[in-house]
Amino acid sequence: MTRGGLPKRQRLVGLWLLLSGISLFGGAVFAAWLDTQLAPAGWARAALWIGSFSGGATIFVAGLILERMLFTPLRHLQAQLVCLVGNPDAHDEQLPEGWLKGLGPDLRRVSENWRADRSRLATAHAEGARSAARIRQELETLLQVLETPLLLCDHHRRVMLFNQAAEDFFIDNTGLGLGKRLEALLPVSSLPQALSQLPRDGSPRELLVPCDNRWLKVILRRVPGSDGETLLTFSDATASWSNEMGVRAELAQILTPIRQHTASLTSAADALIQLRDQNDPSTSLLRQRFERVIQEEGATLGEHVAKIGQLLDDMQHQGERLTPMWSNDFWQALDERLDPERRLITPVGMPAWFKGDAPALIALFNSLVKHLSNYLPDSGFEGEMCLGNKRVYLDLIWRGKAIPEHELAEWRQQPLTSLPLNPSVADVLRQHASDIWSLADENGIYARLRLPLPAMERVGAPREIAPPRPEFHDFGIADLPPPSEALASRSLRSLEVVAFDTETTGLELRRGDTVISLGACRLVNARLLASETFDQKVDPQRPIPPASTAIHGIVDADVAGAPLLDVVLTRFRDYVGEAVLLAHNAAFDLLAISHQGIAFDIPVIDTLLISRALDEALVGHDLDSLAQRYGLTFPPDTRHTALGDARVTAKLWLALLPRLEARGIDTLEQLLALQANALDRQDASVL
Amino acid sequence: MAKVLVVDDEPNIVLSLEFLMEQAGFEVVTAEDGEQAMARVNDSQPDLLLLDISLPGMSGFDVLERLRGDAATAHLAIIMLTAHGRDVEREKGMALGADDYITKPFSTQSLVQKVKALLAGKQP
Repeated sequence: MTRGGLPKRQRLVGLWLLLSGISLFGGAVFAAWLDTQLAPAGWARAALWIGSFSGGATIFVAGLILERMLFTPLRHLQAQLVCLVGNPDAHDEQLPEGWLKGLGPDLRRVSENWRADRSRLATAHAEGARSAARIRQELETLLQVLETPLLLCDHHRRVMLFNQAAEDFFIDNTGLGLGKRLEALLPVSSLPQALSQLPRDGSPRELLVPCDNRWLKVILRRVPGSDGETLLTFSDATASWSNEMGVRAELAQILTPIRQHTASLTSAADALIQLRDQNDPSTSLLRQRFERVIQEEGATLGEHVAKIGQLLDDMQHQGERLTPMWSNDFWQALDERLDPERRLITPVGMPAWFKGDAPALIALFNSLVKHLSNYLPDSGFEGEMCLGNKRVYLDLIWRGKAIPEHELAEWRQQPLTSLPLNPSVADVLRQHASDIWSLADENGIYARLRLPLPAMERVGAPREIAPPRPEFHDFGIADLPPPSEALASRSLRSLEVVAFDTETTGLELRRGDTVISLGACRLVNARLLASETFDQKVDPQRPIPPASTAIHGIVDADVAGAPLLDVVLTRFRDYVGEAVLLAHNAAFDLLAISHQGIAFDIPVIDTLLISRALDEALVGHDLDSLAQRYGLTFPPDTRHTALGDARVTAKLWLALLPRLEARGIDTLEQLLALQANALDRQDASVL
Repeated sequence: MAKVLVVDDEPNIVLSLEFLMEQAGFEVVTAEDGEQAMARVNDSQPDLLLLDISLPGMSGFDVLERLRGDAATAHLAIIMLTAHGRDVEREKGMALGADDYITKPFSTQSLVQKVKALLAGKQP
C-alpha cells in the first residue's frame, strides 16, 4: 500500500548523489579527453571544462533544489496528513513549505472544514442525545444505588452491564467484567441451558448455583423485545439453603427417635405401676427389666435433647440476619452512634471478622453504654476483639470495677426501642445465641463487659471500596460477532483488546533479565475503559540494575514482597480472557511474559509494525515520536510506567484505526497480514 | 460427712437430687431460690453447691458471683445446673467462677462422680 508512494529519503539522496557523482566524474573524464585531443588554450579551455562539468553540476544543484523545495515539503505534508487523519482534533499549525506553499490555504481550509464539520456533527449529536443522556444518567444512578446485584448479558452470554452491588457481591471473583462471558463468573453447566430455555415474555426463572463456597439464588429474565438479552439478579442463599438442608433437616429427623423413646419410657413407667399394684413377688425380675428400660430410655432421650440444643444453637449462628462484619467497621459505626463528637471508643488489639446482626448489636451496645454510665469513665473506653475457638468476644474495657450480675440482669430486660418490635437486650442476645457478662481483669485495674459472637473463617482486612466505576455498561457488546466465530473476520473496532506493557530489569531477556512490572488496560468497541486496568509489580528475584532504574524509576524496595512472575501471569491471563493483545514492539513484551505453563496463544497487534507499514517513508516509530506525531496527550509522569505506556499504546491504536480503515483494512485478518508484511520487509538491524 | 446444698425451684428434681446425694453418702440441705440459698450457705456451711441457673428473683449467676465475691465462700465448690444447654452459658458460668457445669437432663451417675471428685479435690 505504501509501495508506489514517496520513496525513502535515504534512497532518494543516494540516487541523487550517485547521479551527480557519475555525471561529474563522466564530465571530468570527457573534459580531460577533449583537453588532450583539442589542446585548447585560454578561454576556450576554461569553457571546455566548465561545459563538461555543467551536466553534473546541474543535476547536483537540481537535486538540492528539489529536495529543499519539493521532497522535504512532500514528506512534511505526509506527516501533516497522518496527524490530520489519525487525530483530527490535534492542532498542528505547520503549513506546507517550498513549492507546496501554495497548497497551504487549501490544506488549512480542508482541515478547518473537517474540524468544523466534526464539531458540528458532535454538537448536533450531543444536542439530539441530551435528553436521552439525561434519562440514561438517571437510570445509571438508579442502577448503581440499587442494592440488588444485577447484570445484563447478551444472547452470547457476554456481560453488557452490571451494577455496583454486583461488583461488591462478586468482590473476589475475577470473572466479572464488561464483555466477559458469564461462564467466567459462574462456571456451571446448568446456566447456559437455563438461559436458552427462558420464556420470551420476561417471566422469571430461578436457579440455585454454587459459586466460591456459596449457594447463589439467580433469578433470570429474558428482556422482552430485546435481541435475546437476559437480566440476572443474585442473592446469597447459603444461609437458608444450609438451614433447610442442614439443621432443619436434622431437626426434623431427630423427632422420630424422640417419639419412639418417649413411647418406650411412658409405657415402661405404666407397666411398672401396674406391676406394683399386682404386688406379686414373682414379677420382681420383670420389674427390674422395666426399670432398666426406663433408665436407658431416659438417658437416650437426654442425649437427643442435648443434640437438639446443639442444632438450635447452630441454626442461630447460621441465621440469615447474621452477616459477616469486620470489627473495626463495627467499632466505628458504634462510635458514630454513641457520641459522634467525642469518639468514646478506642479500638485496641487485632481486628477480626465476626457474624452478627449489625443494627441490632449497635442498638444493644448503645443501650448498654447508657446504662453503664456509672461504670464507664467520661473519657471513653476501649473496644477489643478477643479470639476464642469457635467464637470471638466483643469486649468493652474500662478503668474501674466490673458490673455485678444483678445489674446486668436488669439491663437484659430493657427494650431496645430503636429496633422494630422493640426486642429486649435478652432477645437480641438470644438471636446471637449469646449472653453478656462482666469481669475484672487480672491486674485489678481494668474491667470488661464481654459479648461472645460467632467467629468467621475469613482473615485479613476487608478490601477498600473502590470509587464508583466510570464504566459499568456497554450495550455495543451485543453487536459484537459471536465468540465462536473466527476472530480473523472480526472488524477491528469490534475487537476486545488488552493493551499491555512490561518494565524489566534490563533488555537482555534471554540472559536472565525479567519482568518487574506489568500494566494493561482494556479496549471494548474501540473505547478505552478507564477503570478496567491491570497494574502489578513483580518480584524479579534479582536486583534491579541502576541503569534500568534510571528509565522506569523502580527500585528493589518497590518490588519487595510483590508476587512472583508466574502468579502475576496467571492473573494476567485471567484478565486478558478472550481479548486480543496489543503492544508497542510486541516481540519484546511477548518474550518478557513468555513463561512455562501460561499460554498467550492469541493474536497480537503491534503498533510499531502497523505504523511502519503505514508510513514507510517516515522515520521515528518509537512510542514517544508516534505520540508526538499523533498529538496524543498523557498525564506527566505516566510515561515509562507499565500502565502508562500501555495506555499510550492503546491511544495510539485508536489513532491508527481510522487510517487503517481508510486503506480498507477492516478485519483482524487483514491487519495481521499487514503486520506480518511489515515484519518481513523490516531490516532486522533497525529493530 | 460432706454437706451438699441443692438449690433448685423445681421440686421434682430437688426430690431426686436429695435422694441421690443421700444415697451417695452426703448430708443434704435444699433451697428453692437465690435468697434462701445465700441464707443456707451462711447458716449450714455446706461443702458443695448444686446451683440451678434459672431461679426466681436472684439468678444462679448472681448467687455464684456473690459467693465468689465474698472471701469466706470464694473457694466453695459450686456445680452449676441448667436446663439451658447453650455453650455460651457454660462459658459464662465458668468465667464467673463455677467449678463445673451440668446440663439437664443429666446422668445421675456422672453427677455423683463429679460431686465426689470435686470434694476430693477441694479437701485433699
